Amino acid sequence: MYRDHPALALRGLTKRYADGTLALEDFDLEIPAGAFFGLLGPNGAGKTTLISAVCNLLRITDGEIEVFGEPHDSLQARSWIGLAEQDINLDRFLTVRETLIYHGGYWGMRDPEERADELIDAFGLRSKSDTRAPRLSGGQRRRLLLARALMHRPRLVILDEPTAGVDFELRQELWRYIRQLHAEGTTILLTTHYLEEAEELCDEIGLIRDGHLIARDNAQGLRDHFEVGRLQDVYVKAMAQ
Amino acid sequence: MTPLVWLCKRETLRVSKLWTQTVLAPVVSSMLFILVFGLSLGGRIKQVGDVDYDVFIVPGLITMAMVQAAFANNASTIFQARFDRYVNDVLSAPMRSWQMTLGYTVGGVVRALAIGLSLLVLALVIVDVPVRHPFELAAAMALGLLLFAPLGLVVGIYAETWDHSTFIQNIVILPLTFVGGVFYSVDVLPSPWEELSHFNPIFYLVNAVRYGFLGESDVSIWLSLGVIAALAVPVYAWSQWLFSTGRRLKD
Repeated sequence: MYRDHPALALRGLTKRYADGTLALEDFDLEIPAGAFFGLLGPNGAGKTTLISAVCNLLRITDGEIEVFGEPHDSLQARSWIGLAEQDINLDRFLTVRETLIYHGGYWGMRDPEERADELIDAFGLRSKSDTRAPRLSGGQRRRLLLARALMHRPRLVILDEPTAGVDFELRQELWRYIRQLHAEGTTILLTTHYLEEAEELCDEIGLIRDGHLIARDNAQGLRDHFEVGRLQDVYVKAMAQ
Repeated sequence: MTPLVWLCKRETLRVSKLWTQTVLAPVVSSMLFILVFGLSLGGRIKQVGDVDYDVFIVPGLITMAMVQAAFANNASTIFQARFDRYVNDVLSAPMRSWQMTLGYTVGGVVRALAIGLSLLVLALVIVDVPVRHPFELAAAMALGLLLFAPLGLVVGIYAETWDHSTFIQNIVILPLTFVGGVFYSVDVLPSPWEELSHFNPIFYLVNAVRYGFLGESDVSIWLSLGVIAALAVPVYAWSQWLFSTGRRLKD
């Protein structure tokens, strides 16, 4: 039934911070259920603000956000979203296994242990399952962050620069997980600075600049629209306009 | 209710994982107060009213340890969660704001109770402190924790640095506790200090707890419970307001 609605619908979303910065202005966006949508833009364009608004991590100034037809701040909508933030924000007092189990508990899972063990194996964290987050390597933390986002089997997974600062091998590994997730029917919203990542993974790409969506299409459509041969050139041209 | 239970478990787990800091250290320091003040000064002061001095100071010391623990625990847990941004895992969860407030409050309450019960057992063994009015004692403790545990949350949410929450603890709560009649009866103070003591909320809490233990108090137990409740309700409501509006927790 949730496929009758777009996975994410933003209407007139505006966010002005207390210092007066206008991060998003009258922003409209609709992402169909089952899509793999990439959001590209420079630092400060409004990508993380948009994600934080969807995930109830900031107070929006104006506008509406719906997740599969439900208001984004409803308990139902919250239960459908899985978020892996750009910064590593793991609970320093919890082990890998506890991180997943407690997250499952917060999301209302009755017996989260089995799912936690499944993800620990899927993300290659078995040998670290009793290790606390601060003692993990950067790559292990990044994998745990993604595992935590998937713990409660979300229908919409939001990944905020999931491969920022990771090495080539881990990036490939994370791409594999993300592709598999999408193949299973999960809607994915990905923000990234890596153009090849967006082109490689996403069905559709949105370009965001100064809090506005300036273009959206698949990679080929964007190249045609901007009359250039490479996505890098699309990006440069779009951001310079 | 499941998310609330898990948040309570997480806050309790944090207290138990850090038990040497969260429980053992305050118990040891409070016992040192009982031993040093009770046994050394007790030899000179003998009695306050009809009560031996080493017994007289026990209720105040237990109160002091418990309110400081409830405050410090919750100020640090929410500040740390904000600072490291893992509070986002709770703020984005399908959890109601009252569940967040209550869940975070529980950690400080559990820690304070662990300290209070440990000190009670030790005090029973060392100075044979009586418990004359257990229901009034339980009510005073409950209201005291309902005041200081959410106060810790409020301060931890507003704090910009660690110094802000330790400032409130060391410059406000600790001095108010010391002048709240932990070590003396305010009856012995000259004017205007006796009258000024009645403006100190911790004075009422110490006296309510002392009444529960010893059956003696500088003011009516009902006045004490009323004053603590009158402060606890708005402070809890304040912490609830912060979670329901997201103010200071969300940009």
